[in-house]
This record gives sequence, structure tokens and C-alpha cells, in this order.
Amino acid sequence: MKGMKMKVKYIVLAILLAVQYSCSEWMELLPPGGLIREEFWKTKEDVNAVLMGAYESFASMDGTLFQFGEMRADMLTDDINLGGTQRNIMEGNIYPENGMSNWSGFYRIINYTNEVIKNAPLVQEIDDTYTDYQLKSVMSEAYFLRSLAYFYLVRIFKDVPLVLEPTESDDSEVYFPKTDGDMVLDSMILDLEQNRQFAPTEYNTLEEYRGRATKAAYDALIADIALWKFDYEKVIKHVEYIEANEEYEIMPNDLWFDIFYPGNSLEGIFEFQFDMANGQQNSVYGMTQRLSYSYDPSQKALQMFAPEYGAAELIRGQNSSIAKYGEDDFIVWKYVGREPDGISVRTGIEQTSANWIVYRLADVLLMKAEALSQLERYTEALNILNEIRERADVPPLTLPNSKIAFEDAIMEERALELAFEGKRWFDLLRMGRRNNFARKADLIEVIIQNVPSTQKRILATKLTNPLGWYMPIQESELEHNPALVQNPYYKF
Amino acid sequence: MKNIRKTIILLLLAFFSFLRGYAQEETIITGRIVDKADKTTIIGANIIEYDSEDRVVSGTTSDVNGNFVYEMVDPSNTVKVSVIGYATQTIEVDPSKPIVVELSSDDIAIGEVTITAEARTSNRLTNVAERDDASSTVKIDLVEMQDAGITSAADALQGRVSGLDIISASGDPGAGSQLVIRGLGSMSGSSPLIVIDGIPQMKVSSAQLDLSSANQEDISELVNIALQDIKSIEVLKDAASTSIYGSRGADGVLLIETHKGRMGAVQFDYTFKSSVNIQPDQIPMLNGDEYIMLQLEEWHNSQGVFDIPPEIAYDRDFDDFYNYSANTDWIGAITQTGFTQDHFFNISGGGEKTRYYTSFSYVDEGGTTINTSSKRFSTRLNLDYFLSRKLFFSIQFNYNRNAREGNVTPWGRSNVRSIAYRKAPNMSIWEYDHEGKPTGEYFSPINSYQGSGASYYNPVALAELGYDNSLSNSLQNTFILRYTINDLLTFNETVTYQYNGSKSEAYIPYNALGVDWLDMDVNQAEEGNNISSSIKTESTLSINNPFKNEDHSISGTIGWLTEQQYSEWLNIQSNKLPSVDLQDPAITGQIRYIGSGLGERRDLSGLANVNYKFKDRYLFNANFRADANSAFGINHRWVTFYGVKFGWRFASEAFLDSWDWLGNESRFIVNFGKAGRQPSDTYARFATYESTGTGVYITNPAIVPTSIQLSNMMAESVYSYDIGGELYLFNDRIYMQGQFYDKVTHDLLFTGYAIPSSSGFGSLRYLNAGKLRNTGWDFMADGTVINKRDFRLAFNFNISHNVNMFTELPNNFVTERDVSVGNGQYPKRVIEGEAIGSFFGFRYLGVWPSDEDVKAYDEEGNILVDSEGVPVPLSYLGTYNFKGGDAIYKDLNYDGVIDLNDVEYIGDSNPDYIGGFGSNLRYKNFDFSFSFHYRLGFDIVNGVAISTEGMGDRNNQSKAVLNRWRVQGQDEEGMLPRAYLNHPCNNLGSDRYVERGDFIRLNNIKLGYRFKKEFCDKLGIRNATLAMSARKLMTFTSYTGQDPEVGVAGGDPFWMGVDNARTPPSKIVTFTLSVGF
Repeated sequence: MKGMKMKVKYIVLAILLAVQYSCSEWMELLPPGGLIREEFWKTKEDVNAVLMGAYESFASMDGTLFQFGEMRADMLTDDINLGGTQRNIMEGNIYPENGMSNWSGFYRIINYTNEVIKNAPLVQEIDDTYTDYQLKSVMSEAYFLRSLAYFYLVRIFKDVPLVLEPTESDDSEVYFPKTDGDMVLDSMILDLEQNRQFAPTEYNTLEEYRGRATKAAYDALIADIALWKFDYEKVIKHVEYIEANEEYEIMPNDLWFDIFYPGNSLEGIFEFQFDMANGQQNSVYGMTQRLSYSYDPSQKALQMFAPEYGAAELIRGQNSSIAKYGEDDFIVWKYVGREPDGISVRTGIEQTSANWIVYRLADVLLMKAEALSQLERYTEALNILNEIRERADVPPLTLPNSKIAFEDAIMEERALELAFEGKRWFDLLRMGRRNNFARKADLIEVIIQNVPSTQKRILATKLTNPLGWYMPIQESELEHNPALVQNPYYKF
Repeated sequence: MKNIRKTIILLLLAFFSFLRGYAQEETIITGRIVDKADKTTIIGANIIEYDSEDRVVSGTTSDVNGNFVYEMVDPSNTVKVSVIGYATQTIEVDPSKPIVVELSSDDIAIGEVTITAEARTSNRLTNVAERDDASSTVKIDLVEMQDAGITSAADALQGRVSGLDIISASGDPGAGSQLVIRGLGSMSGSSPLIVIDGIPQMKVSSAQLDLSSANQEDISELVNIALQDIKSIEVLKDAASTSIYGSRGADGVLLIETHKGRMGAVQFDYTFKSSVNIQPDQIPMLNGDEYIMLQLEEWHNSQGVFDIPPEIAYDRDFDDFYNYSANTDWIGAITQTGFTQDHFFNISGGGEKTRYYTSFSYVDEGGTTINTSSKRFSTRLNLDYFLSRKLFFSIQFNYNRNAREGNVTPWGRSNVRSIAYRKAPNMSIWEYDHEGKPTGEYFSPINSYQGSGASYYNPVALAELGYDNSLSNSLQNTFILRYTINDLLTFNETVTYQYNGSKSEAYIPYNALGVDWLDMDVNQAEEGNNISSSIKTESTLSINNPFKNEDHSISGTIGWLTEQQYSEWLNIQSNKLPSVDLQDPAITGQIRYIGSGLGERRDLSGLANVNYKFKDRYLFNANFRADANSAFGINHRWVTFYGVKFGWRFASEAFLDSWDWLGNESRFIVNFGKAGRQPSDTYARFATYESTGTGVYITNPAIVPTSIQLSNMMAESVYSYDIGGELYLFNDRIYMQGQFYDKVTHDLLFTGYAIPSSSGFGSLRYLNAGKLRNTGWDFMADGTVINKRDFRLAFNFNISHNVNMFTELPNNFVTERDVSVGNGQYPKRVIEGEAIGSFFGFRYLGVWPSDEDVKAYDEEGNILVDSEGVPVPLSYLGTYNFKGGDAIYKDLNYDGVIDLNDVEYIGDSNPDYIGGFGSNLRYKNFDFSFSFHYRLGFDIVNGVAISTEGMGDRNNQSKAVLNRWRVQGQDEEGMLPRAYLNHPCNNLGSDRYVERGDFIRLNNIKLGYRFKKEFCDKLGIRNATLAMSARKLMTFTSYTGQDPEVGVAGGDPFWMGVDNARTPPSKIVTFTLSVGF
């Protein structure tokens, strides 16, 4: 009996011990709510969702893209409500503490695309329904967004860290030094050319066709980067691919404003989509609408568009690109209006729904014209230029066969056609950089326009250093990353 | 040797006298118990008194030298001596001489096995006798401290333990204290682990939950078992000892032991305490007239000619004339005298099979701010049951209920006391109409002279009408099973369940704040629920000494521990409730916030330790523990901890035999070890993915990564080296212990650590990096000067010194924060090699007597001139030129501009020396004791003075500003700068507000009387005592603020000690009556 009792005791003890030992997975406690990496990257839907996250985040930078494309150029002027951060940039007082020098938005998108590029092939190994075609096409979209992000970065900051792997864990390398901007772009061109073949050519909806990367969007981006790098043959080749695509047409002149409202026109190649009904709101409406008092058309813009300042623009002029509200009160109309009448404003859910147009046909055609003229194919270039002018209902130009004449004419035409679309500053930079900074002075002339008169001379001298055309790396980023070196222009 | 015995006897007497009453004519038997065969002494034998019916009455055990002393309840009873392995023997009762009891060995073991519990530490994990553990520990016996007006264990320990810094968080009832052992050693908050009867107490772990306010109260909640239940508290300071608690041990451990049932007849004890809590004198503030004068001067100095605002214009036609013509003492109006009642009742006793101890405690504590109070009920049951010789089980049950009433602080605004300091004294508490008749309403205008009514609310109205109450319930149930397998092996299984539930309710009625009906803060109600629970198991196998040879002794334990914690919370906030009578946020208001969360964490630990002793002189302990925690990163799932300790009882060496004055227990110890500290966030290690802001692009779902996986997140590790010793001198009349230590925290857990944004993220949620070092020494001494039966006088003293510094900062750590300067702002910096809590600021040099005196000087003391020889005006940031009456700041770089470059080190919040001292006098039936607590060598930023002496805004100011600059040329010793509304720089963060915080405080003073036995007998009771005591009665300090006991914030590397008008600890006078029967 006593032995029996002992046995029972030992068995109880053994069970007690066993219960405690038997839990090998016991430590794997997953959070009760929310998605974690361990549960993610299982199906193609996961891959798509992150890709869409990258699009959405990129789209939400429309205000940034607008400002970087226009702030330092000559088409905008500041109004009373504009914050000191932006005003300082417009007046040439740029310091590393300036909030606009924060590049985190671009790198957030780069990280998202890096996640897709790394994980999509791994998902395909798990998800049997994931076809090669779907995989390649999703990855091509990720490559497109990444290249676009780097292209903006290089144009804004010149040399930037080249991060091509996702930051997944605290083991990931995060202290990247700068890579030369040209090398960054070479790497992007290579990615784009390799993946162009996989880029989608069709989508189910119009919004997706204009709002996601397509083969035409690829061509537009390659052409744009090639133009920045002055590789004119490549520009022409890729613009011709787009021209050959019957999906894209120049909008007729009476429908020119349809490019902006309702958007997704036949001319649109790649537009970040906004639809307030889905909660997607743009920022440019808030920056340009009448009561924002942030950015107004500059004197130069008024001379280009307002009849009272001598402008002859009919289609693209007052009530289309800009609108007049009372005495001397002009606003940018492209993102605010719903008719080219300068009166009908966007209301309700349409208010902040204007797309941010990254590429449209007129833009790439003018890129081609620029490339052709630089290759001294003046007739072809002039034809394109006059095609755009004809659509705008303005008389054709006749130009002497000179690169400079054509460059000036094309720059002017781009300013008219693409006003306030975030293109002008980059066009000016391209001009300033061309032929070993041959026309540097013209760019400087533009930059110092907004500067208080007392500082114009000093700044003009300082800006003969082309590094001053780029933004500084933000102070806090330098503090957090010892591998970075500040743009020497900003080292005082 | 004889004197040691005597001391022990007296100590035991002192102990027993509490339980049993101090009898004039007692029968005390003394003696020694030895083995009959070899005459060696027997430790831990039971000496049990039986009555005529052979029932156990009471008993004692023999000490380490085999000696015992026992006071018989009834001299006619019999006394038996028993111990395992020997035959029980009845002894002859003869109080006149020491009895030598010789026991003969017997194969039949006897049931009394309680001695093991007595001889071992209360720590089941180590299986070593206390005297053989080479640790730096201090054990405080709480039995003798019960009569003082102490309400929590933290109070009892304050100033008593060397190396333990305790700061009362606030004088509000039920508020906790901060405990820091041997300096701040963490970036994520340091607080010691509390272990009650071997059970580590649960810390509320955050699962993305925002319980920032709960942290400070954690400790008080945990130690909120009734103070009278606590028998002793042992403080483990060195990592070698705390390593047995693994990733919880880094901040030191408090081992709390509660009373257990003892063999003997049933006893009842009742204690009643009544206390008066008095708020220390407030900082004298301006009255209404002085305030109006000051305001007029501020306006005049800043504006020149101005329109006098009607509130300060003495305009009888002004509608609110009577409301702005008061002389209100706002602080006085919210301050009250608090009363505390404390009832405690316990029953204890036991026989051979069962022992029990059960207690009930009720404390009703009134705060010194109106409408603050705390009502605590707790009960405890410790039940031990000896099923058989081999099988023992014990049940411990503890329940606490704490209902706390407090003043509500509107979200994003200041608390009642802080507003009371600032509120204009010419405003009245109650509203008057334009004829000066009271309306019966509180005066809470939507906009007052000072600003919006919501920001400058009426503190009396808010304290009276609003509330922030909480109710918490906690429960702990422990089951312990011990099975003695054989002489060598004992198996222990402990299962503990802990539950904490708390509910908070807050309400702000519209008429307490001055807001209109559209304001967000109208009739705002908030309710929060928070539940946490944990289940722990502890399985250990103890190995007992196998050696028969006395030279060697070895023991050890191996164990396996598991723990699961679960917590969840819910919070709901509503506003615009339709009526002030509806105070439930669930009623049709406007929901402002609803949130909930839950979290779980699991721990696994394996441990082993071994203790070896040679010739009872050379001690060696080693322990090892490996912890896995579900919160640790995947690369560091298991973290190991260890401790190695050496001890040498040198006084027992033969060559020191001639030193009679040196006690044999004196020893020297060296140890080193590693302990850890867990990250608090359970799920931080996971890379998370979340929907983007809109959740879609076009109409496709959009999800993005939002945090980085922390594969390398692990516990912080504390490595400490200790060298020290204990000395027993002059027949144990003097006891000293001291240690030198060097404690380095590696892999500090930084939260929100910024990384380059080119990674796509702004920060890592946690990063283990950097090193923080604490070095110093602890010393404590106890001495018994007079030791007679009727007259005993003893002293105690302790002191410790700690130096804290960052020895290594993480890569790319930004060492500056808040680099802007401005009124009341101190730029913050962290410097490698400097302590946490250093202040930086300007040097304040007084007041410019007149405009002509304001000059900038160069290094040689010449007036600073520009290139054209024109004197450079001394300016602030180049934008404001100083004038007469402005503050003088030292222009460190002699450039004529006061700016960030003139900021230098001006102080440090860490005390150089902390400690306490006290004395205990017993004469016949009276006893008298006092204890002091001191903290020396630290600075405080007097935040109250910044806001009450700045004279740059519309806040009320202290009487100190009456001595201010008023006219050109005025130059008086110690005068303050001029009053000037919105002055840009008269109140900069400077050493003007940095004060020495040094204080010595009379923490406790007590006079007690124990009724004579005859008197008790007459009443038919066992004993009765009366005591009067006072707590925090006097403070000696040069600090001009209200209280120099300013808290520490271990979680912030940029922390500095600022005194911000919290309720200072009150003075408490207590009357105590206790009766035993």
C-alpha cells in the first residue's frame, strides 16, 4: 500500500515536470492584433498590398513633388501664409536645418519597393497560384517606383545613399554613405531597361491604367532620366515607343483642361491617383486654393498667362493654368478648378481629388524635341514644338537652327504647357548643367529672382558653385548617420 | 563567547517580548543542546512547551551555537526537546541555571521540520543558510518598527538600508515611492524586484498600453500588503545575488518575508493607529493687493503707457469688480489636514500538523489636498500543513482592495496644486454679482485676466466637483508543496496565481472649468479598466549536504521556472455629457476616445546553484540561470546570468583566537555576477505591417511595413563586482558592514533610437547599446551602548556613496536635446563620462542696477567695443538689449551676446551621499526611538521658483518677489530682477534656480509604553502597548522650495531633477494602541 502511494507521488511529480517541459513553441507569442512579418509575405495579395502601399505613399508626396519642382524656379511666388521653411528656400536661405531637406519620404517608398523586390520571388515559392507573369509584372512596377524615387532624390540632392535592400531587422545595414548621383541613375536605368519587357500593358480600369506603371510609363521615365543624363538617342528611342502606342493621344485643344479635370485623359501616361471618396486626398489643392495664401503665380507666370500682362495664351492661359480673383489676386487653377473658366471650383469630394501628373504625352514629346534639337535635328524638333503650340491654339514658331534658340524655345514651351506641374525647376537644372554648365548664369538669374535685393549679388556669386543648386542633407540625418558627408556647399 | 549568547538572548527576548508581552516575573530557561555522543552542538533543535494535556503551547529553537533561551508561558508545563535524528527528551525546568541537554541519536525521525525554514534564507532558489551566503544584503526587521507612523514598506526602509535610495513620489495618499538601489543603471526605468515569501511580484507589463502614470504606483501597489504582515525585508544589492532572479534582478531585489503561524496556543492581536497628516508650510505667495501691484508694474515696465486691464484697475463699475478684488489663499483653500485610521487584526497559532497566520487590515488615509483619500483593505492567510514527515504543503493567500480618491487633472493641463500656485489671488473662489452679492456659484470665467478658463481653472471648484478615482483589487494565491525524497533530495513545487484588476473613473464637470458649452472639455468623463494576471510555476530539487565529515558541507538546487503574464486594458473618454449628474462615459455623450489592448508574455528559466563550505570558514556560492522571454529578439532568446561568491569567516581562524573582541561571525566577502533587466514592451521585437493612411490605392488594399524586426533585442545586463565584509565587535555589541562595488550596465535599452531615415524608418523601437557605470560604497553600523535588562540603548547609522556616469554612448547618439534657450528652459545634454541628471544653463550674476550699468566686457574686463570703438550693447541673442533691472548673465565667451554659447554645467541631480541614522532607547516599559534620513550633495532645479519668481507673466508669484528692482539705480543685496510682462530673458534657465538639495530629515520619532504584566493580567489580555510617533516632522535643508525630496526619472538619459509643486510628503503624527490576547 505504501509503495503504491509512493508510485502515485512519483507519477504526479513526473506529470508536473512534463507539463513544464513539453512546450517547445511556448515562447513564440505573436501579437493578438496587427500583422507581423511572420504572418506576412504568404500570398500574392500580400505582395500587391505592399506595392499599393508604395504607390499610395508616393502619391501622398504630391505636395513635396510640387514644391521641389517649382519652389526655387520662377513660376511661383510666396503668399502670406507660407511657412518659414518654404519661404527660406524660395529666398535662397537654405540651411541643413530646413525641414524640406528631409528625404525620409522618398526612402520610405524605396524601402517599400525593396520589400516587394526581395519578397515577391519568395512568396511565389509558397503561393502556387502566383504565376511568373504576375510576379514579373508586380516586380516591374516596384522597380519603376524605386527608380522614380531615386530620380527625384538625385535631382534634389545630387548624391544620395543607394539602398537596394529592405530594412527588415536590426541586423540590416542602415549606415549607407552617399553614392554619386550619376551612378545611382545608371543603376536605375539598368533596372528599368531589364524590366521594361515585364511592365504591364493593360489594366482592368482606367484609373489603374493611368495610375500604375505601364510600359509607356517605363518609356517616359527612361526618356526623362536619359534626358537628364543628356543621352539623346535613348530619349528619342523611348519616346518613339510611346508614340507608337495608340492608347496615347494629344488631347484636342477644346479638351485641354480635361487633362487636369477630370484627369486620366488620353494624354496621361502616369498620374498618381487621388480620389477623396477613398480617403485619398492630394496636397496641391491645399497649397494652391485661394484661401491658402501659400503659393501664387509669379510675375513671370502672369506675363505668360494673364492677358492684362500681355499674354497671348488662349487654351492654357488665364482661367486654365491660372485664375484671377479680384484685383491682382491670381491663383494656380490646374488643381483647383473643374472648368477652364476660372470660376467653377472643385467642390465636395472632388476638392482634393486632382491627380498628380508625373508624365503625360505633351511632356515626353517636348523631351523628344529637346533631344532632337540637341542632336541638331532641328526640323523634327520644330515640328513637335509647333504641334504642341497648335494644340494650344497659339501661332507656330520659326526658329534659327541653333541649339540655344531651340533650348530657349523648348524651355519656354514646357513652362507654358507644364506650368505648376513640378517640372520647371528640374528643366532649369538640366539647362544649367548642360554642356558643362555653359548656361549656368541663366539658371542663377532665375534662382535669385525671389531673393531680397540686398542679397542677390552675394547669392549669385555663391551659386556659381553648382552644388548650391541642390538641397543640403538634413542636419539630423547627418547626426544619425556618420557615413554621410554634407554637400560641401553647405559646410560653412 | 558568553556575551554573544547574551546578545542573541536579548535580541530574542526583544523579539518575543513583542509577541508575548514583557513580563516582570517570567520563567526563563536557558541552555545548550549537544549531541550525547560527541558533544557537538545541535543547531535548530525544537524546544517545545506542552501543557498538562500535552497540547503544544509555545516553543523555540536552538541557535547556531546550540544555545537556546525560552520564556515559559506557565512554569508548571513540561518542556521537550526534539530534533530530527535524535530521541525527544523532556527536560527539567530550572530557570536558575543553564541546562545542558544531551540528545542521543535515534533512527526514528520526528515530525518537527520547521527548522529548515528558519535556517535557510527565505529564498527557495538557493538552498543556503543565510550566514553562509556571501552576499551584500541588508535585512531589516520590521517587527520593531510597527508602531511608528509608517504606512508602507517603502516608508519603513527609507534611510535604513545603505545603498537604497527611496524617494517618496508625492504626499498624496497611496502614492508610491521610487526605489533605486546603488544608482540609476538603466535607460528604461529602475525599480527593484519585489519578492514576497519567495514569489516574485508581477510588474504590469505594457502591451502597447499607455500606462505611463501607473509606473510610479507599481511598487506601492505591490508592497501594499499590510505593513504589519511583514516580518522582515531583505535587500539584495549585488548582481551576484540577484542573478538568481535572472532578467529581473538587475535593479536589486527586495525579499519580503511575512509572518507565519507558530506552534502554540491561538493568539489574537489588534492594533489601532490614528494619524494626523499635516501639509508642510506652503511657499508664501502674494496676496491680491500685492499681486495687482506686481501686475501693474509688469505692464508698465514692458509697455510704458498702457490701458489698465479692468481686472486690476480698481474700477468699481467693472462687472466683475468683486470677483477680482479678493485676497484668496488658493493653496490654503485646497489644503486640508488629513486623518488616517488604521485597524489591523491577526490570528495565529498552530499545532504539530498545522500552523496558521491570518490577518485583516483596513487603512483609511486622508490626503492633505482636499478630496484626496485612500481606503485600503487587505487580508492575508498563511497556512502550513505537515501532511507527513515527508510531505508538506503551504497555502498563501493575499487579497488587497484599494480605493483611491484623487483630484482630476484635465488632459494636457496642470494639476490642482500647480494651478493653485499660479492662480491670481485677487480672484475669488466664489462668484459675486456686480453688487457684491454671492451667487452661490464657483467663479470660473471662460476667460479670466490670466487666460482661458480651461487653462487657469478654479482649483477649488475642480477639486470639489471633479474627481479621478480608482479602485484596484489584487489577489495572490500560492500553493507550495515540498516533498522530502530522502536525506539528500527535497523536491519543491510552487504554483502562484496573481491577479490585478483596476478601474479608474474621472469626471470634469463644466462648472469646474471655465468653458462654454461648445468646448471639448465640457462635462468630460473617462473610465479605464485594466486587468493583469500571471501564473508562475517553480519546480526545484534541493540537494542537501551529503557529507558526514564536518569539514565539508555542500548544498545546491536545480530548478525550472515558468511564467505567463496576461494583461488587457480598456479606456473610454466622452465629453459634452448632457448634465453634470450624468458621469458615466457610456451615456450619450460625444465619444472622444475609445481604446483597448491586450498583451501576453512568457518566461522560461532554468537555474542551478551550488554552495560549498569548508571548515565552516571558507564559503563558496555559485549560481547560474538562463532566461528565455517571449519579448527577447530571436537572436537572443536565451540569456544567461551567473554569480560567484566567496566568503571567509576570518575571525574563526585559530590565529585570531586571541582577539576576544572580534566576533566569530565576522567575515570578508568578494563576489561578482551578472543580472538582467527585461524590455517592458512585449511585442516590440516584431516587424509590423499596417494599412497606410487611407488603406487603399485606387481601390486596392495598401499595406506597408511600419516597424523593424528587433532580432537583437535582449535584456540589459548588469555586471557587478563587490568586495566587502561584516564585523562583529565587542561581544557583538557593534556590528558593521560595508562594501565597495562597481556596477556596469551593458547593452542599455534605448527606446525610439533614431537611425538614418535612408533606411525607410525613423527609429528602432529599442536598441541595446552603451554602458552606464555606477561605482561606490555602502556602509552601515549598529551599536548597542547599554545593554541591561531594564535599560538598553542602541544606535544605527548608514551611509552610501554612488557615482554614476555614461562610460559609453551608442554610436551616433545625439547628445543634445532642446538646444534652444528661453525663459525657464534648460538645454539638455548627455556627455560621456558625466552623470545622468547633469544640468546646463546660464550663470546668473544678479541684477543690473541701472541702464547705464549695462555693459559688455571682454576677457580683460574692458568694455567691449566694435571696430569703430563704439561700445557693443550687451544683448540677448542679438535681439534684445539688456536694461536696468534685468538679470545679469555671465557672458562666457565675452562676445556681448548671451546665447547658447554661454551655457555651462551648473549642477547635478544625483546625491553624493545618502543614508540615515537613528537610535533606540528602552528603559523599563518605555521605549523611545528616532531615525533620520539624509541625501547630500545634489542639486535641484526649483521649478516652483521658476514659475513663482519670474515676474514675466500673469501667474501669481511668491513673496520673494517683493524684493525686486523697481527704480533706476536700485542696488540691493539679493534683489530680484524687475517685473516685466513677457520679458524675453529675465527668467532664463540659469543657476538662479539651481539649489543645493541637501537635507537631513527626522523621518520617524516614537515614544512607546508597554503595560505591565500585572495590569494586563487584570484585564485578561496578553499584552498592551501605547505609542506616539511622528513622521517627517522636521527637515533640515537650505533648499528654499517646499520639499527637497525630488524624484528621479530613470527612463530618460536627459533627465534632471526638477521640483514641480507636487504635494510634498506630509508630517504625520500617529497614536498607536495594540493589544494581544
